[in-house]
Amino acid sequence: MRTNRLVAACATAAALLGLAACGGSSSNGSGGGSAGPTPIKSSKTVGRTTGPNGEKATPTSALKLSAADIAKVKSGHYTAALTWHQSSDFVTAVTAGARDEFAKLGITVTATTNANFDAGKQKNDIETVMAKKPDVMLSLPVDPVATASAYKSVTRAGTKLVLLSNVPKGFVQGRDYVTVVTDDLFQMGKHAADALAASIGDKGKIAYFFHDASYYVTNQRDQAFKKTIEANYPNIKLVAQQGIADPNKAQDQANAILTKNPNLDGVYVTFSQPPAEGVLSALRNNGNTKTKLVSLDLDEPLTVDMARGGNVSGIVSDKAYELGQAMAMSAAYGLLDRKAPPFLVAPAITITKDNLAHGYEESLHQAPPKAVAEAAK
Amino acid sequence: MSVPPTIETERAPAVRTDPTRSVRVRLRAIDPRAYVVYLAFLLILVFFAATLSNDGFLTSANLLNILKQTAPISVMAVGMVFVLSAGEIDLSIGSVVALSALVAAVVLRDVGLVAGIAAGLGTGVVVGAVNGLFVTVLRLPSFLVTLATMGLVGGLARSITNLESVAVTDQTFANAFGSGDVGPLPSLILWTLGVVLVGHFVYRHRRFGAHVLAAGDNAAAARVTGIRVNRVKLAVLVGSATLAALAGLLYAGRLQGANYNLGSSDLLLVIAAVVIGGTRLFGGSGTVVGALVGSLIMGMLNNGLILMGLSSSEQLIAQGVLLLLAISLTLREPKA
Repeated sequence: MRTNRLVAACATAAALLGLAACGGSSSNGSGGGSAGPTPIKSSKTVGRTTGPNGEKATPTSALKLSAADIAKVKSGHYTAALTWHQSSDFVTAVTAGARDEFAKLGITVTATTNANFDAGKQKNDIETVMAKKPDVMLSLPVDPVATASAYKSVTRAGTKLVLLSNVPKGFVQGRDYVTVVTDDLFQMGKHAADALAASIGDKGKIAYFFHDASYYVTNQRDQAFKKTIEANYPNIKLVAQQGIADPNKAQDQANAILTKNPNLDGVYVTFSQPPAEGVLSALRNNGNTKTKLVSLDLDEPLTVDMARGGNVSGIVSDKAYELGQAMAMSAAYGLLDRKAPPFLVAPAITITKDNLAHGYEESLHQAPPKAVAEAAK
Repeated sequence: MSVPPTIETERAPAVRTDPTRSVRVRLRAIDPRAYVVYLAFLLILVFFAATLSNDGFLTSANLLNILKQTAPISVMAVGMVFVLSAGEIDLSIGSVVALSALVAAVVLRDVGLVAGIAAGLGTGVVVGAVNGLFVTVLRLPSFLVTLATMGLVGGLARSITNLESVAVTDQTFANAFGSGDVGPLPSLILWTLGVVLVGHFVYRHRRFGAHVLAAGDNAAAARVTGIRVNRVKLAVLVGSATLAALAGLLYAGRLQGANYNLGSSDLLLVIAAVVIGGTRLFGGSGTVVGALVGSLIMGMLNNGLILMGLSSSEQLIAQGVLLLLAISLTLREPKA
């Protein structure tokens, strides 16, 4: 009987614990210092980030609000709801950027939700927050197809919708949503390619762990990495390509790849938490201190390893805080009935051992975590 | 062991001698713990109604939302009451939701309405039959069998459309399974009511319900009394997977689309709803209406805590604390 209760309690607690999956940070920007034998140089750009519907990218810096605009928005005493796809460092930084910008605009955040990548839960979340009749909603649709019906009700209610990274199927900018904001996805993949190439001296054998799911953000970043390596680094060979469908199982997949290819010079992993952490763990378990690892999105275990001079040689991140600010400013465009650019991108930044503190500040608008700062000493 | 007291009290022929004595006996037979879940539900409702009176909690639209949002969980909870009562468990339901929704969406798109519905529900029947046959014919524990099929079915859901989502454009299907209304009531609520009423009737008032409870309470004793325990276990596992498939159709209709991730967080919610509602995790007693109330408690907590404006982390903490309170009230064993 007592076991019954324990199991029930455990089941309930586990049901309520959100599963964090892939993050979604990225950006451009100067590479940091060099962690390998050659400094990171920017190779030729062989592609560009396009919007979910092929839109041309506009930098987030193009958004401008005058003092009169801000005063007008302030006088409306508007409210906002944030319906996110997950909870992570990235989402926290985007939320912080949005909240700070909303504060300047006199907009109050009345609800925040996290869908744990479940389209059904995101629909529930959206319906729930609509009971508070928010004037603005910032959101990342978990699935462009399966969440479209949820966002239709938002648009019908007259709530200004600003999207992060994904656009619901059939939605038209200006009519259904204000704009979509994301990272400079191609630049993120390209930065990762340049960073990994530099860390292995522009030559050698590498493994490529890509996200095996139909997800616009990770797919563009992964493809940009591969294209850049293939086009700009003829002496680097992709000897293993492994799709990661379940990010929590990356460690097992990495073990298999490392067994088959014990002399890898480098590995690229689609995003940091949890797959790159899993791959790093596999490298450690194999006693491998030589293979360099580059991944996307800031993550504490990876940055600690990088700060200690471990396998991780670079992490490419976006300016997540800036993404949040841009979303809030775009919301003001919507409230002012002003047309926003259809597709906005925030820059990418390469973070290495040499620019850790600056990288954290640029990306997440915060100092590095204590463990990272101590490891860097 | 005997058939549980709930059944006994409902089926025992009334002794028509002293009416007041009969009432006293009946009152004494009532286990107050069986009703604490309703009290917990009312307390949470009153708490949110008082604290969120200006935040839209009590609007009819929001209350309908809670009912609609919990519909797939409630439907699956009915199946789980039978499975747990029979002394088994079904861990594959979350994966069945995804696979049945995707199969229904693909067949709906490529063939038609009736075929889509049949294929979606058929997916559940097939998975349930596989679960049931492994459990009964090979005498394997349902925990392990359904753990295996959870992975197998989840993998199939990922592979049949190569991780792509499938849109549902058939408006008749969408209306019937989640997006439409019948008179003043959303179809989702009607499905919930229908499944709960039928489930309650079968569980409490048909021989099959008593057989399920007997099989879960003491399978060997049930066999001696002539109950075909294997047949009962096969039936509850097929029923559970079929109701999970129905939940998959409800998701597909409500979202007007399906993807491989649907239902991924539902399994533990369903188990929590059923157990909070008063069903024993290891068989022998249970309640369908309690499971519905458990499901509504879970939905109400999710809804109310969002409306309170808490951050995602704060919502999880508050949900955990409130659930511990609810569990302490509903599942506390009496002193020996």
